[in-house]
This record gives sequence, structure tokens and C-alpha cells, in this order.
Amino acid sequence: MLEIIDIHKRYGDRVAACGLSLTLAAGEVVALLGPSGCGKSTLLKLIAGLEAPDAGIVRFDGADLARVSPDARGFALMFQDFALFPHLDVLGNVMFGLRERRVAREEARTRACAMLAELGLDGYQARRVWTLSGGEAQRVALARALVTRPRLLLLDEPFSSLDAHLRQGLQQDFRRLLGKQGIPALLVTHDRAEAFAMADRVALLCDGRIQQCATPAALLAAPATPWVARFIGYENLLSDAVVPERAFRLGAGQAPARVEDVVPLAEGMRVRVETALGRFVLTLSAREVAACGGQLHPGGEIGVGIDRDALLRFDRG
Amino acid sequence: MRAERRERRWLYLPPLVFLLLVALAPAARLLLESGARFSVLSDAYLRWRLLWSLGQAALTCVLGTLIGVPVAWVLARTAFPGRALVLRVLMLPFVMPTLVAGIGVLAVFGPHGLFGADLQDTPWLLLYGNLFYNLPLIIRGAHDGFAALPASRLAAARTLGATRLGAFWRVEWPAMLPALGASLCLVFLFCFSGFGLALLLGGVRYATVEVEIYSLVAYELNLADASALALMALTLSGVCVLIYAWFERRLAHPAPVDPLPPAPPRHWQERVALALALGALFFFGGLPLAAVAWRAASAGAAWRVLFEPDTLAALGNTARFSAMTLVLATVLGVMHAMAGRARVWMRAAAFLPYVISPVCMAFGLLLLYPGLSASLGLLIAAYTLLAYPFVAKGIGSALDRMPPTMVQAARTLGASPPRVLWRVTLPLLRPALRRGMAFAAASAVGEFAVTLFLSRPEWTTLTTLIYRHLGRPGAANLDQALVLASLLMGFALLAFLLIEWPSHARRESGG
Repeated sequence: MLEIIDIHKRYGDRVAACGLSLTLAAGEVVALLGPSGCGKSTLLKLIAGLEAPDAGIVRFDGADLARVSPDARGFALMFQDFALFPHLDVLGNVMFGLRERRVAREEARTRACAMLAELGLDGYQARRVWTLSGGEAQRVALARALVTRPRLLLLDEPFSSLDAHLRQGLQQDFRRLLGKQGIPALLVTHDRAEAFAMADRVALLCDGRIQQCATPAALLAAPATPWVARFIGYENLLSDAVVPERAFRLGAGQAPARVEDVVPLAEGMRVRVETALGRFVLTLSAREVAACGGQLHPGGEIGVGIDRDALLRFDRG
Repeated sequence: MRAERRERRWLYLPPLVFLLLVALAPAARLLLESGARFSVLSDAYLRWRLLWSLGQAALTCVLGTLIGVPVAWVLARTAFPGRALVLRVLMLPFVMPTLVAGIGVLAVFGPHGLFGADLQDTPWLLLYGNLFYNLPLIIRGAHDGFAALPASRLAAARTLGATRLGAFWRVEWPAMLPALGASLCLVFLFCFSGFGLALLLGGVRYATVEVEIYSLVAYELNLADASALALMALTLSGVCVLIYAWFERRLAHPAPVDPLPPAPPRHWQERVALALALGALFFFGGLPLAAVAWRAASAGAAWRVLFEPDTLAALGNTARFSAMTLVLATVLGVMHAMAGRARVWMRAAAFLPYVISPVCMAFGLLLLYPGLSASLGLLIAAYTLLAYPFVAKGIGSALDRMPPTMVQAARTLGASPPRVLWRVTLPLLRPALRRGMAFAAASAVGEFAVTLFLSRPEWTTLTTLIYRHLGRPGAANLDQALVLASLLMGFALLAFLLIEWPSHARRESGG
């Protein structure tokens, strides 16, 4: 459906996109994951048509969008600050896109009310937007975006301004709604838990380029580069592979390693050790801690080995 | 992209050309005329004028700080019924024409004043008038400074062992200083370059440079000395505005904070402090206006002045000039604000009319365009120059407050650029536009200095008519001036209501 081919965009010295390509299939949710300031939001604006790329092609259903203005693209962009219009009430905000698309007032009202009810906002129609809580404002923004039945939904850090407990509930609501409506969505986030929870595929963006794009399970099973491995949470890297937690072998029969630092956890302990292969951080269960005897203190010595078959080798191809 | 840039050019060219013709060129002409002679300072009389102009402005700042900061602190920290109303009405003097203020001060402390104390020909009359205008400005600035202080910072100081007074000096006072500094710059500028008050209240001895320039030009035709003085005034005002801009930049991005909520007074000391603060507010900000209303109400037969042909003609002129000014000021102001979004120097240009006092500007215009003297175009241009920064700055800061995502959201929801302007941008700017236009209208209706300089006898406006009545001897004429001033006060009140009318679209007023 959506094809982004070799996009380039720079602002002065800052490179926002440099040969970036990405595709989105029908009904698919893709998360764009990357550190702050890596050009994630810029990419959304390029797709929405709010910015023009320096070079490259954005296509939807095979049609080039270069000369299509933002209002004619039929995409909906949900902003990080929600961008609700303060001069309109909740209903007016949700009806805005329908009215702009020439839907008759009565029908627009019916559809907007139905969408609000769907999101659990029945009775909020006449509320002023600045009286809404963060979660409510977020759902109004989603209703406003979805009610026009966009061909593509673009979400810019939609949960970043919300509390952690509120976030999880809303993330589930989002998944359910997107699946039900069958709308493809591109979600920008810097939170990997959010990306893994929400998306069918996760694209990792760094230095204006997609480093890897795969399902969450595939990413975890085979990170393509050391940067990707670190960004999705792996702590122990060799020059050519990731050492997952399960690849470590502990015990007296293994090569000796010096304990540098220990941090007690609620269940077990995090231990930093120096081995012949380099420094590693291990998370030990309470049982493993007990098995190590009295050696878990800085300067102590334990046996640490690595199962070579369990390593996740970087795909250099 | 390029089309957009061309669009911008059409936006910023008209205000720039206007500023060039009506503000910069006359100022340059003044410079040429004066030849930057500082020898006028060897004249003891003129030296006294300049020193007194500086002195009264500085004295107003000192008195204003001594009275205003405690009042502002009480207003910021004490909760009482009507507090929000008091904070709003505080800005009422700002829209009052100088003639109303001047007559109000005379009605309180002039000959036959309310209290029987005649302060005419003392410096106190002018200082009281200055404080009427500027004390609210100082209080507002200091109040906003106090209110922007996070409660946690004060709490931290107290838990670290500071007494309440210690916390004030070491935490509250420094936090409020930039806001106070910015207000004091404006106060100094307004006092130094003010004309109407000094003309009415200064008398022979305590008039200021601006009045001196006027009489040198209008009565003695001594253009050389007048232009030398005007140049000095211009330079000083320019320095003031620069310092003000520096303070403003420090205040530019206030972080959202949880301020200390005002608490109701608990001890009798706090009640006394509140009463004193409100009393001071009324004495300086309310009394002159109340005196105008009271004296006018008891003027009896003088009310017939309203139906005299002179008055009706003056009213017609005021309405005509103000309407023309309002249209021009709105168009230019909106253009200036839209064009100034990304340009710092364009924003700074909106301060130009502050630097050039009305008297200096009118004088410069007369020098530059002698053929156009007493022409309607020149008069309206000068009116517009004084009025349009209100629109430009109001719209400008409203545009700043508007997040760019508003327009982008509307675009992705299917609105074309003209539709975005119509359905999102303009509705969001409407309160600012209404306020800016009301300020512009108030400034046009109350305009006095420029009218005195540039108009013809048959173009008498309400303000110049009042001045003419004041100049004639006798109690009847004073009463008539009072009646006309109360009418002018009514117009200003109307403008004030338009400015302060709450707008539902504003987040700030929602809480």
C-alpha cells in the first residue's frame, strides 16, 4: 500500500532521512523505533505531505503522492500534543475532518457521535477540550483521526505524554480498534516496549536510515547490527554476535571470570564480570546466586562460559 | 516554497514602507535639522527641562517600586473575593486618554480639588498623574513575577531554614526582578516621553522636554533648539526600549509551574495589609476617574455642552479619524504580525513607535512633509502609527502561542490552506484581534499630542476640545471640560470591556 523509496531530507546540517525506504502492507501496523532526534517525526510529516522530501518517492496504492497536497491524501496524522482545536468543543473537533470532506452536517454529527461512543466518550460531545484529562484528549484525537476512515493512520508518539498505567490500557484499545477497522498505521515511538506491544513489524531508524525492519520476534531472534541489538535491549555483545542470557553457562567447570560489580535485585542479582572474551552483565536467579557460594562480591571469582551454538550471529549479508 | 516566500513579501512590504515613511524618515529628518548639536545643554533653562524630565521619570520608578511591589506581593499571595476582578480592572488606566487622567488629577488635587489641597505648581501633581498610569503597570509586572514562582522553590527555601522575610529577599525578590525590570523600563519611557500629562499638570516649572519641544515649535518657531531636544529624547527612548527588549527576552519562555496558590488572610496583620494594598490601588488608580465621574455628575447645567455644535463637530471628527485609523491599523497590524513570525527584526520594528514619541514624530513629519501639513492623510498616518503596534503585537503573540500542529492537523484532516485560515487560524486569533483593535481604537479616540500638532482648527477632536475648554478661565468651562472628559472616559471604558471580555477559546482564562 504505502511505499517509501529512497527518501532524502536534510535541515541544514541535520540529516533527517538519508536513502530511507519502507513499505507498509494493507492493514499492517508498523512501529518506527529510534532514539530522540533521529528523524522519526520528520518521516511522518513527509508521508503526510506537510514537508517535501529533497529526493525520493512516496507512493500509495501505486500512485505517486509528490503533487498531492496534505488535505487530499486522505491520511490522518495524530500529533504528540494531540493538536485539538481549542475553539471547538469535542464534537466539533471530531466533526472537523468530516465537514472538510463535505459530509452533510447531520450525517457528520451521527458518525462523530458513534465514534465517540466507540471510544467510551459518550456524553463528552459538548466538553471544552482543555477540560479533558490526558487520556481523554488522546482518545478524542484518535476519534478525530479515525472518523474520516483514513487510508492510513500516522501516529506521532501517541502515548508519550500519558502515565504508565494509563498507557497500557490505551495501547490495547488502539490495537483492537485498528484491527477492527483494518486501517494500516505507522507509529512513531522511542519506547521499545510500546513498539513491540503495538506493531506487526518494527522498523529501527538511526542516522536517517532504516537499520532493520522485522516482526518483534524476528528482531529479537536475529538483530542485524550491534546498534540494533543494543537498542532492543541486548547488553552482552561480541564483535560478531549477541550473547543472549540463555547462552551463558555458569559453574565450576567453566572458565574463571572476575566479579567487578554486583547489584541485588528483588529476585536474584545483576553481576558484572570480566572474562577472557570481554565484560558481560549477567542477571542471575536466586538459585544461581546460591550456587555461586560466597564469591558474588567485587573481586570474587566465578566460572562463566558461553554456549557458541546459542549465539545470535549478526547477519552481515 | 518560492511562492510562499513571494506571498510573505506582500505581507511585510506594506508595514515596512509605512514605518519607513512615517517613523524612520521623520526621525532622520530631525537628526539632519538638529545637526546633533548638544550646545542646547549650555542653556540653563533647557538643561533644567531635560534634568527634570529624567528626574520625574526616575522618581516615578522609585515611588512606583516602593508602593507597587508590596501591593503586588499582597495581591499575588492573598485570596479575597473579587481578586480576579481587581487584577483585570488594574489595567483600566492603560486605555484612559491622558486628558481624562490629567483632568482627574486636577479634580482631586488641583485648584478647587476634592480635598481642598491645591498642589498646582508643585511636582506632586505630575508625579501623581504618572503613578496613576504607571503604578498598575509595575504592580502587574511584579504580580506576574511573583505568580510565576514555583511553590516548591519557596518551600525549599523555608525547609532550608529561611524565615518568611528571608525567603522573600532570597527567593521571591530575585525571581520577580526581570518582570519588574521590564515594567520599570516601560514606566521610565512613558514618563519621559509623555506629553499630555506634563502639559496639563506640569505647569510652568515642572513641564517636561516634550512640552518644551511643543512650545518651541508651536509658539516660538525655534526649530533648531526643538530638534536638538527631540534628538536627545529619541536617543534616550531608544536606550530604554533596548533595555526593555533585553528583559523581555529573558522573560520570553516561561516554563509552566505550579505557583503558590493565594491563601485567604489569617491574622489581623494580613487583613490590614490587604486593606492597605487595595486602598493604595484605589488612591492611585481609581480616585482620579471617580473624581471625574463625581464632578461631572454634579456639574448640572454644564451638561448642555454636549449639544453645542462645537461638541457635535468634535465628536464627528473623533469618530471619523478613529474609524479610518482602526481600518488601517488592523490591516497593517495583521500584515506585520503574519510577516514577523520568523523575523526578529520585523518584531523589533513594531517597537519603533514607542521609541519615537508622538511629539517628536509629529514634529519630524512637519519638517519632512511641509506641503502636507494639516492634511488628512498625514494626520491619519500619524494616528495609525501610534495605534497599529497594539494590533501587531497582540496578533504576533497569539500566533506564537498557537502550536504549529494546529494548522498541520487541519491540513491532514482535509482542509485546504484557505479553509485552514477560515476554520482554524482566524478563530484562534479572534480574541487577540478584538483586543488589539480595541486598544487601537482607544489610542485613536484619546489621541492628543499629534492632533495638537497636525490638525486644522476645524478638525477639533474631543480631546483638543477639552483642552480648549480647560484653557478658558472660569468654573463653567472647567465643568464643561469635566463633562466632556467623562464622555471620553465612557468610550475608554467601552474599549476596556471589549479588551477584557472573557473569551472561551482561551486556555489561560479557563482555570
